[in-house]
Amino acid sequence: MSQPVIIKSNKYGLNLILDPDVPFPELLGHITKKFLESENFFKNARMAISFEGRELTREEEYQIIDTISQNTSIYIVCVIDYDENREQYAKEKVEQCLVEESDNTGRFYKGTLRSGQALECETSIIIIGDVNPGAKIISTGNIIILGALKGTAYAGASGDEDCFVVALDMNPVQIKIGSIIGRSEDKGILASIRERKKVAAQPQVATVSDGHILIEPITKNTFNNI
Amino acid sequence: MSEVIVITSGKGGVGKTTTTANVGTGLAQLDKKVVLIDTDIGLRNLDVVMGLENRIVYNLVDVVEGSCRIKQALIKDKKYPNLSLLPSAQTRDKSSVTPEQMKKLTDELREEFDYILLDCPAGIEQGFQNAIAGADRSIVVTTPEVSAIRDADRIIGLLEANEIKQTQLIVNRLRMDMVKRGDMMTVEDVCEILAINLIGVVPDDEQIVISTNQGEPLVGSDALAGKAFANICKRIVGEEVPFLDLQKKSSVFTKLAGLFK
Repeated sequence: MSQPVIIKSNKYGLNLILDPDVPFPELLGHITKKFLESENFFKNARMAISFEGRELTREEEYQIIDTISQNTSIYIVCVIDYDENREQYAKEKVEQCLVEESDNTGRFYKGTLRSGQALECETSIIIIGDVNPGAKIISTGNIIILGALKGTAYAGASGDEDCFVVALDMNPVQIKIGSIIGRSEDKGILASIRERKKVAAQPQVATVSDGHILIEPITKNTFNNI
Repeated sequence: MSEVIVITSGKGGVGKTTTTANVGTGLAQLDKKVVLIDTDIGLRNLDVVMGLENRIVYNLVDVVEGSCRIKQALIKDKKYPNLSLLPSAQTRDKSSVTPEQMKKLTDELREEFDYILLDCPAGIEQGFQNAIAGADRSIVVTTPEVSAIRDADRIIGLLEANEIKQTQLIVNRLRMDMVKRGDMMTVEDVCEILAINLIGVVPDDEQIVISTNQGEPLVGSDALAGKAFANICKRIVGEEVPFLDLQKKSSVFTKLAGLFK
């Protein structure tokens, strides 16, 4: 490694790339020198720090942070570590909480959503009214429409493909669940009106099945699988 | 109690101006004191449809800017002295007037008139915001076409958001022959999508084109569209009038055809 210490910035703050072969006290000296050079640039900044390229003990991490704090006016808010397992675990936990939140709570909205109107919700949502073409409804949980869905519905907006969309009259322009998108057939409005008139509207549910949006009538068993 | 009614549609060319002219004239025929305001600044045409273009001296922008008094700018109708028009300016644009100024203007006009009808420009920008600023209720005009209905839906949403309490629907230029063939949406289809109260259905009628070109509104005449507009006016003042049987047109024609045989 040509330089024992390299400072890089990322979206959280600073990333220090450290030479694994330099003895620690010498490395500390390099870090001090490096930060003094760029002190004016970082003046009074609040940032997170992460380390790369070298295994550090807790004690060594503290020493580096102390060095930086003593020699510059940078305020280190936290240390970010790049343990992949731990990151995955944290991500899963956060998502699980979000899903639980959206599964267990819901909001009601009464009224028709018209073209140009959009409703976004961090929980599941129950709409009492229609969702017209050109209107959009986005929920991190499930969407239940006690009326006609003629616009766009986006359930499981944080990526949960187990979410579902229910409507008494299912005739959407587009449905998205998680990252799966389904769109309506390419037919004219008159054709779709006529088609709908032939059969009485029945409640239907949209779910993800084999990577596709599946729309089917609601039966007794529908919600056993959800 | 005077009422300010905005006539709007979102999409252009569906018949807002024609409706304003006919409804205004129809209300005047019912002995109401009516003023029509053309809020389409820069694209003035209500005066043309009313046949009053040659009488314009001052306009809406002049009134708002204080260059003249309201009375000076109001043009009396040729036939009905209780009907007036406040024309729009042709050489200015929508930003010449603010919603606050429009509200002040309509509030002043309330003192003298029973009905103040605002002919709204197409679109949802400032012209629309100006037109709805002082309105108590609104009439949304649409034709039975997807594009017009989609825009009407958007407009209804905006009217609701602006707390216009009462919004009613006119389905304009309906062609019964096409509906029968299944090539045009029915009034029921339109109402189902828009989900607001219907106040009238106006058939597509070439007499409308003729009357517009002559500068004389059709309302009150025997033409089917004239009757439809007269009925709308009665409904606006609160009468209960059954909807016209639009099928009749063909039967009248078959009768006429029978006479000439």
